[in-house]
Order: sequence, then structure tokens, then C-alpha cells
Amino acid sequence: MSSQTLTIETETAGSLAQEVAARSGQNLNACYQCRRCAAGCPVGDDTGVTPDRLIRMVLLGDREAALNNLLVWQCVACYTCGTRCPNNIHTARITETLKQMVKEQHLEPMTPKVAYFHNAFLTSTSHFGRLNEMEFMGIYEIKNAQNELKKGGGIKAIIVELKNQMQLGKEMMKLKRMHFSIDKIKGLAEIKRLFAKAKK
Amino acid sequence: MEIAYYPGCSLHASSALYDKQCRDVLGRLGADLKEIKDWNCCGATSAAKTNDFLAIAMPARNLGIADASGYAEMVIPCASCYSRTVLAQKALESDPDLREKINAELSEKIQGKIKLLSILDLLVEKAKSGEIGAKATKKLEGLRPACYYGCLQTRYPADIQITDNVENPQGMEMVCEALGAQAIDWGYKTDCCGASASVNDSDVAIRLMSNIQKDALARGANCFVTTCPMCQMNMDAYQGKAAAKYGIGQSLPVYFITELIGVSMDIGTAELQLDRHFIEATELLRGLKLL
Repeated sequence: MSSQTLTIETETAGSLAQEVAARSGQNLNACYQCRRCAAGCPVGDDTGVTPDRLIRMVLLGDREAALNNLLVWQCVACYTCGTRCPNNIHTARITETLKQMVKEQHLEPMTPKVAYFHNAFLTSTSHFGRLNEMEFMGIYEIKNAQNELKKGGGIKAIIVELKNQMQLGKEMMKLKRMHFSIDKIKGLAEIKRLFAKAKK
Repeated sequence: MEIAYYPGCSLHASSALYDKQCRDVLGRLGADLKEIKDWNCCGATSAAKTNDFLAIAMPARNLGIADASGYAEMVIPCASCYSRTVLAQKALESDPDLREKINAELSEKIQGKIKLLSILDLLVEKAKSGEIGAKATKKLEGLRPACYYGCLQTRYPADIQITDNVENPQGMEMVCEALGAQAIDWGYKTDCCGASASVNDSDVAIRLMSNIQKDALARGANCFVTTCPMCQMNMDAYQGKAAAKYGIGQSLPVYFITELIGVSMDIGTAELQLDRHFIEATELLRGLKLL
């Protein structure tokens, strides 16, 4: 983990902390940096930033760091940090909030594939009311391929990705775990209205 | 006893075998599953990571349908669906404005009546009452499952009381004991297998799974057993990759808890759809003369 010094942004500290606390429902001020969360975080080694560190970034008002770090995107939502926190702070809720803020502010997600994955899931759900696994994967792979192309020279990465998916798909088909029927609910209009309300 | 049933998307698609097993096995244990009508996706982890309102509103519609069904209880086998639905019910209970806002769009209004059960709640009850022991008569001698709970069976990002131990749950072990299987004691039963990252962050997912695999093998397990279709699919489809990358000698079959009960009840391979596993799942059972 880096030993970079965190500095307090006095202008913005209060407002960022308040916004994140209100939206996530978590009392960030209760964190006394015991780092039980860090000890249990399964992705801490990958992200460098652990839950305690993320809370600190928010409290210090470092909006840039809080929205642009790997923990926000690579958090697997296992809820270990929150379950073990002596002060009941669920940092997974905070990463959810920060992800939503990145989306609302039209910022580039640090790990785009994670964002595409969850967006594709909800897009497919909004079409049928239930998840269509094939459409979900299709939307995800198209979005992913578009991004690789945009980055330039990503053809190889696209081929590797699609090959992996096709291998899984072939195996699923063989095992009768792939389903081709369209499962569309009758009350889809209600789902559409809820999605519309969510945008407001 | 008739009980409302929410299968969720996975049990209608890639884990349809789990849906069939739940109906068969729970039916034989006296719980007649009545699928609620016209249910929708619970939103899963994706809604929680994308939009707080949808994360509540999507399971809320199902709660309204379940409340109107007339049944007192609803069982939800998928750990992810169960978790999201319980969280939604809790949030709606404490936020009348939100309930009002969502109810305005629903034909079946949320009443907050239905009692939600995970499949393990139901099975533990049936193990304690002796019903599993009485109906599942073929003892699973020689089977040493690593009971794998994953994240969502015991942990919630809110104040939800669970009856089992959060860090070292025992519910599945209790069911295994009733079946005569010798569940092993191990350290990774509630660690994340990386299911939600298997497609979009596969290096992380594979590493998480390798830890689980290594510990289960080191403790002498000869299979995994789980209640979660996300975990089952992930560990079944990708254990081979983790084994190759981390030099692990063996991949273990990953059974749904309903499969072990089904085998013990002498329900056949074809009926249980045991042939739909990525990692061959009948050989071990045949070797132990359980099939």
C-alpha cells in the first residue's frame, strides 16, 4: 500500500462527506481507523485502497481520489467489511454510492468492464422484466468491444474476450444450461414506470 | 404445507436444474412450492451498484405480489434474490414515503405481510424436526462436503438479524449430518468466490476462488455444497481455470444442497439433472455407491 499523504480539502470536505453519508446511509464519522475492514477485504491486495482508506478520502474531501480508485470498482460487495466493523459502517454501501456518483457525473469509470456489466444487466431487465442471460451478455460484450476499439488497437483483446465467452456458451449449451426462450412479464409497464422514476 | 415461491431469473435459465430440484426435494419434505405469478428480476447486485431506488423498487414489486398471494411465507432459494428482497422489505418497513412512492406504480401493493425464508431456513427446520432424516434414507457415507455459504447467505449491508453464526454458520452442516455426510471443518466457507466478478474482473475472481479450492482440498473435502446459484455456476464453470493458473491439482464437484438431499432420497440422476454440471458430478457419487 502506498504511504502517500492525504490532505484535507477544507472547502469541500464537509459537503462530500455529507453527500456520501446521506446517500449510503453510513455514518462515516464513526470510523476510528481500526482497519478490521482492511484485514478482511478480499480485494484489498488488488486495489491498494482498503475500506478505511476510502472512508478517509471521503472525510478529507478528496473527491478526485474517492471517485477514482480501484476499490470503488473492484469491490465484490461481499459485505465482510461492514459485518466486521465495530461501528457498523458498511463500506460496500459507500462504494455503491460512489459508483452511482461516477455515473451521474458522466465520469469515466476506472474499470469500465464492471460498469458495462451492471448497466447491461439492468438494460436487459428493463426490456423483459426478467434477466435474459443471452441478451445481457450480448449487450455487455458489444459495449466492451466498442470501448476496446475506442482505446485503439484492442482487436486482440476483443478476440480473446469473445473466445472465452463462446467457450463458456458452447459448454452451457452442451449441458442444457443455456436458455433461448424469452421470459417476458405481463406487468412490464410497471417495471418501466419504476425505471422511469429511478431516473428522476 | 403450501408456501409461496420466488425462483428468480437464474432458476428459470442457467440454473433451471436448481428450480426443478427445489420443487422435487422440498415437495417430498412437505413444502409444496407455489410460484408467485408474474414476478420480476430482483435487480441483484447490479441494481444496488447502479441505482438505490431500483435496488428497492424491483424486489418491492415481488413483495407486493407475494403479499397478495395469500400465503404467509415465501421461500427464495437464490442467495442473491433472497438478500435483495430481505433488504427491500426492511427498507420499506422503515420508510413509508418510499413505500408510498413505489406503491403508486404497482397493481399489487406492498403490505409488508409476507415472511421471507431462505432455502436454508426451511431446510434447517426440516433437519431439526427429523423430517430430512426420515425421508432421506440413503446415508451419504464417504461424502465429505465443504459447506460453502459464500457472501449473501449470512452477510447483509444493513441490520438484518440472522439465526446462524455470521462467521462460522452451521446450517448446511446440520443438513449434511441429517444426510449422513461428513461435512469438513474449514476456513473459507463464507469467503467470496468472486461470482459477480467472474466475467468483468476475472483475474480477481479466479484468485478468490483459488483460495477456497486450496483450503477445501487441504482439509480433505471431496466436494463443495452450496445453496447459491451464483456461487454454484461460478465455481462449477471456472474452478478449472483457477486450478490451472494456481497449480491446484484437482477441481471438486459443486453440488446444490438439494442435490445431496435428492441423492439421499434416491431421486435418480436424470431427474435431479446431475448431468448438467461443468465438473462431472456423478462419478464421485457412483464411486461411493450412492448412485
